[in-house]
Amino acid sequence: MLLRLGTVFAILSLLGFGGGRAIIPQMYRDTVVQQHWVTAAEFSRYFAISKLAPGPTTLTGALIGFAVAGITGSLVATLALYGPSSALCYGMGRIWDRFQGHPLRDGFAKAMGPVIIGLVWAGAAAIAEGALDLPFTYAIAGAVTIVLLTTKVNPIVTILAAGVAGAAFLR
Amino acid sequence: MPVSYAAIAATFARIASSSFGGGTLALARRELVTHRGWLTDDGFIEILSLAQVLPGPNLTNLAVLVGGRLRGPAGAALAFGAMMAPAYLLLMAIAATVVAGARLPWLTAALRGCAAGAVGLSLANAIELTFRFRRDLVVLAFIALSALAVGVAHLSLPVVLVILVPPAYVALRGRRR
Repeated sequence: MLLRLGTVFAILSLLGFGGGRAIIPQMYRDTVVQQHWVTAAEFSRYFAISKLAPGPTTLTGALIGFAVAGITGSLVATLALYGPSSALCYGMGRIWDRFQGHPLRDGFAKAMGPVIIGLVWAGAAAIAEGALDLPFTYAIAGAVTIVLLTTKVNPIVTILAAGVAGAAFLR
Repeated sequence: MPVSYAAIAATFARIASSSFGGGTLALARRELVTHRGWLTDDGFIEILSLAQVLPGPNLTNLAVLVGGRLRGPAGAALAFGAMMAPAYLLLMAIAATVVAGARLPWLTAALRGCAAGAVGLSLANAIELTFRFRRDLVVLAFIALSALAVGVAHLSLPVVLVILVPPAYVALRGRRR
C-alpha cells in the first residue's frame, strides 16, 4: 500500500509543471477516480484544508496519505510528491548555472502559460465536483469568487469566512 | 567564506512562515536580495522563472535552487526542509484534529463551507489568470483546449502536454509575454 502511495505521488511529482495547482486535477483522477483512496467530498475537504494552511496546495496529497495510512502514509506521500521534483530541480539548477539565457527557455515558458491556466480551470471543476451540492454551497463559492475578484481581501480570510458560514448553515 | 547552514535554514524557515498570509514571493525577494544579498534582482527573477518552469511548487523549487547554489546538495536539502517543515507540521496537526473530530457535526459543516470557499478561490484564480489574455484569441483558445482536455475529456496531464505544448510553442513563439 505504501509502495503504491509512493509510486502514484512520485509520478505526480514530476508532472507538476507550472507549480502545484496544475497537478490537482491529475491528483483527483489518480486518488479518487482510479485508486478510490478517498471520496470526491473528502478530496475537496483536504484541498480546502491545504489551501488554509501555508505551503503548497499539493500538500492535499499529504492529507490523502494520512487518510490512507496515517502519519507514515503522509510522510511517504510528502517525500514522493516533492523528492523527485526537487532532485530534478537541483540537477537542472546546476546545468542552468552553466548555460545561461537560452532562447528555448523563453519560448517554452510562453507555450506552457495557456496550458497551465487551462489546468487551473480544470482544477476548479474537479474540486467543485466534491464540494458543491446544496444551493448554499454554490452561494458560498459564488460569494468567495466575487469577493476575491473585486477586493484585496486575503484569500485565507475568505476560506475561513466560508467555514464559519458552513458551520452555521450546513449542519 | 561560504554561507552558513544555520543562515540558510533560518532564512527559508522565515520565508515559509510568512506564507500564512500570502505574499510569500515578495518576502522571499526581500530576504534573499535585499536582506541577505545572496542574489541580485536579475538573479532572483532568473531563478524564479526556472523554478516556475520545472515541476514542483515554485517556492520549494526556489529554495532548492538557492540552497544548492549556496552550499551544494546539503544546502538544497536544508533550504527545502526549512521551507516545508512548518507547513507540513501544521497540516498534520489540523489533520489529526479533523480525524479525531469526525463526529463533531459543526466541524464537518465548517469543512464543507471551506471546501465550497476553495471552489470560489480556484475560480477567481482561473478568471484572474485568464483575464489579462482577454484580447488574445490564440492564447484563449489554448486555455480552453487545455481546460476541456483535462476537465471534460479527462485526458491525463502528460498527454495534454504532449498534444498542446508543441503547437503552443509554434503559435506563441514571436510574442512578448
